Amino acid sequence: MGEISIDDRELRDLMTRYQNADAAALEDLVARVSPPLLRFFGRSGIGRSDAEDLLQDCWIRIHRSRHTYRPSEPVMPWIYAIARHTRLDAYRKRRRLESREVLVASIPERLHQVVPETPSEEDHFSRLVANLPDSQREVIVMLKVSGMSLEEVARATSSTPGAVKQKAHRAYAALRRALGKDRESAR
Amino acid sequence: MLTSSLTPVKPIPSQSRLAFVFLAVFIVCAAGLIAILNKAGFHLMTGVQMAFMTAILAGGGILFSFTLAWRMIPGSRWGVPFSLVLALSVLLPIAGIALLFPWTTSSAFVSEGWPCASLELIIAVPAAVVYWLLARRGALFASSGLGATLTGLAVFLALLPLQFQCMFQHAPHLLVWHGGTAALLVGSGALIGKLARRARLRKQELKDG
Repeated sequence: MGEISIDDRELRDLMTRYQNADAAALEDLVARVSPPLLRFFGRSGIGRSDAEDLLQDCWIRIHRSRHTYRPSEPVMPWIYAIARHTRLDAYRKRRRLESREVLVASIPERLHQVVPETPSEEDHFSRLVANLPDSQREVIVMLKVSGMSLEEVARATSSTPGAVKQKAHRAYAALRRALGKDRESAR
Repeated sequence: MLTSSLTPVKPIPSQSRLAFVFLAVFIVCAAGLIAILNKAGFHLMTGVQMAFMTAILAGGGILFSFTLAWRMIPGSRWGVPFSLVLALSVLLPIAGIALLFPWTTSSAFVSEGWPCASLELIIAVPAAVVYWLLARRGALFASSGLGATLTGLAVFLALLPLQFQCMFQHAPHLLVWHGGTAALLVGSGALIGKLARRARLRKQELKDG
């Protein structure tokens, strides 16, 4: 489950070269950072294609705000701070569109029917994480899926390491409870 | 698409440098305004009142300067949560004014208050514009928090000279006309930030079809 930590020194070097308009550095950066970002968006309870759209939008924002990166600072918190804004804006947009759609007409029930599939371990984990509150979910995904440190997550979420630790503990407790319920129902 | 628009960019100054720029603007403007405006408050306040109000209002300027600099750089470190910054900047002045200033009102409470509220607006609004011009290179993600921080700093810049200029050093006048106007301005700043973010999203939606 844990992501192999991306070497921050290499990322800083890539970011500095990217700021100096090095196309190869940009391609390398996209190749390295996109997989954890896609997982970050994918755990927000949206489909794969929506997550890919968000990833594309996020890269456009990263590109537009690349001057706000400071070479002395870690790269991943900077990238995840932008990713959070991207996800939040997409969430607001989706909510606005949904509210409009409900006003127009109610959706036929047939459209809601989904063909059931046998869930994999990955799906099971995603489902458990998807049930967490937003703030806890993003902390868990950054810590456990993207392999970031408490300090890095605190920077990315505009928070303090203590607050991140508290959210993570609450999320672990909620996940333990959910796992316990699943086991009981499986017996 | 990204490679086609790839041009060299100059990294933004460090968080501390940005904060010092905001603080320098704060000090220069506040000192200039104190020198220009009349100084009735100077003679009416006691030593304790003057020391407390100067510390609180200048402290607010320092705190908001660092908070604004922190908001300009995504993923940067700043140890004081924004909720604490807001709570401190609201509760400390209220408590200090309530304890240190007399609770007396005159029959001309409203007519005495309007000039103070107007002066606060006249100083704070252009100051907020100046801070926006300074911060816009980094402040890419307009939000209610950014709007509140920007106007919060501008409001502290306005309150400091106003405190030394005002000839009605009573708790009700200070809380309602100085503090109330400040709260309205910060609330308006937050609202403008929110609307700006919404407008940007709408523009993007239209662009995406």
